[in-house]
Amino acid sequence: MGSKDSNNASATGDPGQPGPLENTLKEALEKVIKRRESTVVDDETAILSREKSAAAREDAADMREDAADLREDAVHLREGAAQVREGEAQEREVAATSREQEIRAAEPQAISDEHVVKLQQANAHLVIASIEAHILTEQVQTAKDNLEHLVHYDTLTDLPNRTLLQDRLGQAIELAHRQGRQLAVMFMDLDRFKHINDSLGHAVGDLLLQSVAQRLVGCVRHSDTISRQGGDEFVVLLPYIEHAEDAALSAQKLLAALELPHCVDEHTIYIGASIGISIYPDDGQDLETLLKCADSAMYHSKANGRNNYKFFEQSMNVRAIERQSIEGGLRRALERQEFVLHYQPKINLQSGAIVGVEALIRWQHPQRGLILPEQFVPIAEDCGLTQPIGRWVLREACKQAQAWLQAGLPPIVVAINASAPEFHTKDYFKNIRATLEEVHLEPRYLEIELTESVLMRDAAATDAVLHALADLGVKLTVDDFGTGYSSLSYLKKFPINTLKIDQSFVNQMIGNTDDAAIVSAVISMAKSLRLRVIAEGVETPEQAAFLRDRQCDEGQGFHFGRPMAAEAFAALLQSGLSSTHLQ
Amino acid sequence: MQASDVLRHLVIENLMAPHPEKDADAAIGLWEQMATQIISLVGEGGFNSLYARSVYLTQSTYPWLTANALSPQADHRFVQLKTSFEGQTPAEVYAANRLLLITFTDILAALIGEQLTTSILRLAWSVDASDKAGKEFENE
Repeated sequence: MGSKDSNNASATGDPGQPGPLENTLKEALEKVIKRRESTVVDDETAILSREKSAAAREDAADMREDAADLREDAVHLREGAAQVREGEAQEREVAATSREQEIRAAEPQAISDEHVVKLQQANAHLVIASIEAHILTEQVQTAKDNLEHLVHYDTLTDLPNRTLLQDRLGQAIELAHRQGRQLAVMFMDLDRFKHINDSLGHAVGDLLLQSVAQRLVGCVRHSDTISRQGGDEFVVLLPYIEHAEDAALSAQKLLAALELPHCVDEHTIYIGASIGISIYPDDGQDLETLLKCADSAMYHSKANGRNNYKFFEQSMNVRAIERQSIEGGLRRALERQEFVLHYQPKINLQSGAIVGVEALIRWQHPQRGLILPEQFVPIAEDCGLTQPIGRWVLREACKQAQAWLQAGLPPIVVAINASAPEFHTKDYFKNIRATLEEVHLEPRYLEIELTESVLMRDAAATDAVLHALADLGVKLTVDDFGTGYSSLSYLKKFPINTLKIDQSFVNQMIGNTDDAAIVSAVISMAKSLRLRVIAEGVETPEQAAFLRDRQCDEGQGFHFGRPMAAEAFAALLQSGLSSTHLQ
Repeated sequence: MQASDVLRHLVIENLMAPHPEKDADAAIGLWEQMATQIISLVGEGGFNSLYARSVYLTQSTYPWLTANALSPQADHRFVQLKTSFEGQTPAEVYAANRLLLITFTDILAALIGEQLTTSILRLAWSVDASDKAGKEFENE
């Protein structure tokens, strides 16, 4: 723009010499130009300023626009937030509605009487079921407690049983070992309990055991243990003793307590006991050994007169081993045919004729020689061997009787003994009938001797078997008469043929008036009841004469003949009895 | 025994205490009030079951309590219980009824909870929060 204005000025003046006007004009022009330039500059400045202002306005406008945009964005955001809040509110409303509906659903809606009755019935059922569940739970717990008790206590006496004793003895040994002390084990067996049990019955026997148990418990300290091992065996554990003599004092106390009579079911029963004592650690260091030693000592106590106590001694082991040896041998004796029968004659006291014979078992032991029944029959009973041995005796005696008959010898009755365990087996009668048939022996030639205790045990069953035997033709004799505890009423009830007076009365009857009176009374009673009567254990001519004078029918004993082998008896039977025996 | 049980037992004792001389009648009154409430909830069968169980358990301490069965007639429901009580001294009646009520409410509490049992007993015996027995309940 400046270069255009300078070109216009040179065109209006003298090009070679400038005049004053010209100068003035020039100056004025210059001034104008300058002014204009200044104006232009100003204008330019103004333009610039305006441009700036415009730019500023534009910026401001942009900023306003931005602000507007921001406001708009803020509005949008607020709107968004409002929508979110609205959504949440709606959700809350839905939830509230839902809860309200749930609450309404849960609220009883005008419960009807019928509904109340149903609720009552439902509640009643729930209550009843819960109570029944309580009762059942209680019953189960009671049953558990009872079972637990049964495991450790004897049901008859409520004393600790074998299991609990072993537990306590084991603990006592441990404690005694740690403290370096002694303890005592006492093995107790009632004397002749079996006899009472057999004669008065198991019910009385059980009551007697309960009475014995109560007495024993009253004699010991709380720290001691009285246990029932089974049957009539009890074991006493004294875990705290200072000396062996303490055990002896305790044993004396126990025996004294038992000595007093026991009143059981209208019976007054006297019973004693035999006690064996072993001491820890002297006799054994473990429970098996201590019990075994006490058991051995008890057997010795019993053998030495009963109703006393005995401490274990090492020598007793020898006897125990011997008993074990007999027990083992007995089991094999039948297979090895080691048993034999010996025969003792029964004599008609008036005629002197042999009218019968009693078969008596012997054990022909390969090492020990001939063993008498007293030495092995009790062991056989303990081992449950009485039935097979009894059957063998029956068969052999019947075979022998038939053999004698077939040999043409005078017909006689052969008698065998029946033990309680054997007699009370189910098939006792059947076996006798079958054996008689098998050996072709008429039943009238067989006689069975039974003790009072065998007869009185389970009287109803005994009655049936006795009548079956009598109907068959077998003769029945009451053995050891006068030594049992039974009443005499069974003599009317049972089909008995003969009474055999026990040898204990016969042995003493010459010098003892009481025994003589008993023997005379038994003979008279037998006559009155039309029973035959025989006396056993007749050893002297005086005894034979006494019996003959009192009209005793028969006699048996060493005076007439000892038990002898079958061949010897056959010879005696063949020849008849010597008249010297009948003086 | 929980504290709530003890409180319930105390309430029973407090309710019985004012009537030692009335013995049997007072005792039966408590039972009748309670029976009304409980039968309305669990029926006759439910109540009878609870009652029979309570008597059985109480008999181990008081063998003379032979009122195992309830009469079907609502107004003579506890006639057997009353007969049992009549042969006894007031002290025995008090002690036996106390044990019987405690046993009954113990079983009920074991079945439905202490709180509900307490609520039922308050209704049954009209126990006011202002009296001594009510305070026991309020203190739960």
